[in-house]
Order: sequence, then C-alpha cells, then structure tokens
Amino acid sequence: MKSVVKRFSIDTTQDVELINITSIVKEAAAESGVSNGIVYVTTMHTTSGITVNEGLPDVEADLLSMLERTASEFGDYRHQRFLPSDGQMAVNSCSHQRSLLTGMQVAFPVENGTLVMGARQTIYFAEFDGPLHREYIIHVLGV
Amino acid sequence: MAVIDFRTYPVQVQELYDESPQLHAPVRDIFGFYCSAQPLSTLIRQLDVAGVDITVLSTLDCTTAHGAAIVPNETLAKLVEKSDRLLGFASVDPSDSSAPAKLEHAIENLKLRGLNLDPALQRFRVSDDRLAFPVYEKAAKLGIPITFQMGLNWAPRARIADARPLDLECVAATFPNLRIVIAHCGWPFTMESLALAIKYQNVFLDTAILFSGRPESSVASVFTKEYGLDVIEASLRERIVFASDYPRVDPKRVARAVRMLGLRPLTEKMIFSTNAESLLNRTPNA
Repeated sequence: MKSVVKRFSIDTTQDVELINITSIVKEAAAESGVSNGIVYVTTMHTTSGITVNEGLPDVEADLLSMLERTASEFGDYRHQRFLPSDGQMAVNSCSHQRSLLTGMQVAFPVENGTLVMGARQTIYFAEFDGPLHREYIIHVLGV
Repeated sequence: MAVIDFRTYPVQVQELYDESPQLHAPVRDIFGFYCSAQPLSTLIRQLDVAGVDITVLSTLDCTTAHGAAIVPNETLAKLVEKSDRLLGFASVDPSDSSAPAKLEHAIENLKLRGLNLDPALQRFRVSDDRLAFPVYEKAAKLGIPITFQMGLNWAPRARIADARPLDLECVAATFPNLRIVIAHCGWPFTMESLALAIKYQNVFLDTAILFSGRPESSVASVFTKEYGLDVIEASLRERIVFASDYPRVDPKRVARAVRMLGLRPLTEKMIFSTNAESLLNRTPNA
C-alpha cells in the first residue's frame, strides 16, 4: 500500500470565492504512482472548504449566494469578540458556518492511475474569509 | 485620491520574520499577537478587497518598558520599500533622551511619515514635559503627525488607565501645530476624545473601534449612537481618518463598517482619503 501526501498552497484573492483545483488533483493522483486506490483532498483551515460541483460560472455564483443566504454575514453570533489566544478579533462566524456547510474534504477513486470523476464534476477550493495564503492536502492512498 | 488605511501593524507579514526572525519574541510577548504569518502579498490583497490603496505600517518602541521595539524603525523602513502600497510610521521611546534625534533620523533618513506612540504599552505619561514634550516638539518641527494609542489596548502588558484621551489636552494646547490622532476614538473614553476633537483643531480620531461584536456594530455604536451622525457631519468630518488596526481585525470589515454608517459621500471621502492625505502631507494623487 502506498500513501502519498502532497501539500499545496493557494493565494486566494477574494473574501468569498470558488477556485477550480481539478487539474491539480488529477495531476497529483497521476504522479503518485498509485494505480488503484483513493484520493482525498482536504483543506487545512476552518474557514475554507473543499467541494465538488459543476464548473459553470452561474452555478458557482448561485452556490455562493446560497451559502451567503444560509450563513449570513451578520447574525446573532457568539463568535464575534476578541480572541486572546490569537491576539485579534474573531469576527468570522459566517466563514466557519459556510465551511461547515461545504465540508472540508472530498474523495475520488483512482483506477488505472486515473481519477474517476463524472464529466461535469469540478473540484473546488472554497474560500470563505479571504484573501489569504491557504493550504490544502492531496492524499493518494492505494497500490 | 488614494484611500488610506492610517494604521496597520506588519506583525503578520512573513517577510518581516524572514529577515528578522528574532522579532517573533516582541510580537508575541509585548504586542500580544499569536497568529501564523502570511506573505506580504496577502496584506496587499486584503487592501484590495477592502478598497484601500495605501496603508500605513506602524510600530512601537518599547525598549525602556519591555526591552525591545515591536519592529525597529530600520526594519520597518525596509519593509515599506517592498511595495508602493505601503507607508511607514516610526516609533521612538520617549523615556530615551535621544528619542527626538532618533525620530529625526527616522523621518529624514528612513523616510518614515509619522510617529506612533502607545503610553499604556510604552509606559510613559503623555503629559510628561521633561521626557515626552521634546519628542512632540521635534514632531511638530518635522511637520509629521503623531498617532496616540488611547483607551482599550489588547497588548497584555498595557494598562488601559494609562491611556486617557483627556491627558492629551495639554499636548494639543501646547503644540497647536502638532497634529494628533487619537486611535480607536479612545474607546471606552470616547466622549473625552470627542471633546478634544471638537475643541482642538489639531486633534483627529480614527475608526479602529474594536472591543466586541463586529466592527460594523462597534463602529456604529460610537459614531451613530454615542456621537451621532449629525455631529460627525457638522463637526468631525475633517477630523476622522480611516484606520483598521490590522491584523487585530481585517481592513475589509472596518472599511465596510464605515461605509455602512450612511455618511454623506463627501464625508466618507474625507474619512477614507482627504484627511489622511492632508495628515501625511501628500498632494492628491501623490
């Protein structure tokens, strides 16, 4: 069994955005040397997400609108205060909530060295409190 | 005319630590900031999202009180050189008798644009005519503004009671040509700050009002409920500058807080641009 973990960084440019990372995941899977197994894509943060949907700008815009409606910027939140352990204001409750709704990880099978994906499926890194320098992990596991 | 964030601190900028790894200690132990660093490019993109063109990076010299500067003026000046989106404010230690000379060096040779002081953290009395007044006299002679950190202070070693805005009255009165910015509107001593800004033409306030809740609510609570927008429009529109205090909070949130106040467009422009341009002695579009 092989286990190949690769770390990737990404510089987001917006407060909220979806960034297509499909080709990076496919490439990492192909370069891993794993013929048959599974690939996990995992964000390293609690105000971002990893998700899959159709790679169309209108779909992306609607998904972000849905998240902004569901976890609105302003609310009767408790997480809006000074956080002594950070030394800064923690005022991004909506970002955490959007991360929860999106999820922090996706998985795809690897078959004959290739990612098995639906034709319309696109893998996204989802930013919910940008712009920031972010990291995510691609973990390929198999034989 | 540039939108200016009048005060940020470079304590989350990775390039600072690449060149000066020893600064982790004062940033953590004196300034009280514990988050991991980000590349300078992140700060620039943060400014973009906030609609800010230029930010003033600031520091604090706490040598007498705590044994170190948060960021030495020379290091700050080198960081400022990395982007035309950055300006720098020096700090000197008023308890050091050579502080006026060091300030002159920072302005004349390092090309920093103002002075940042924090009596609660640096542990000096702003009304100390023996130690502090020579620094003010030098700043007035150099034609630079001084930002005083007033009121609530998140640095663990700072004492809030040592930062009462009314203590600045003798400074404002003694140095009428010295432009004084009261950071955070001196919250919770906001009415003291208001009184000074209304009475003294050389006293300014900034928008980094952060205590609890979101900036959108804390800024509104002072400007809308305590001061009243009518007072701001009538008496303060030339006397408020936009400042975020990043990385204590993101510029995008403080900028949104100011834009949500519902001020007249001209007043908003003065707060975001004109007033800071004037304080920094910048000509429009410079």
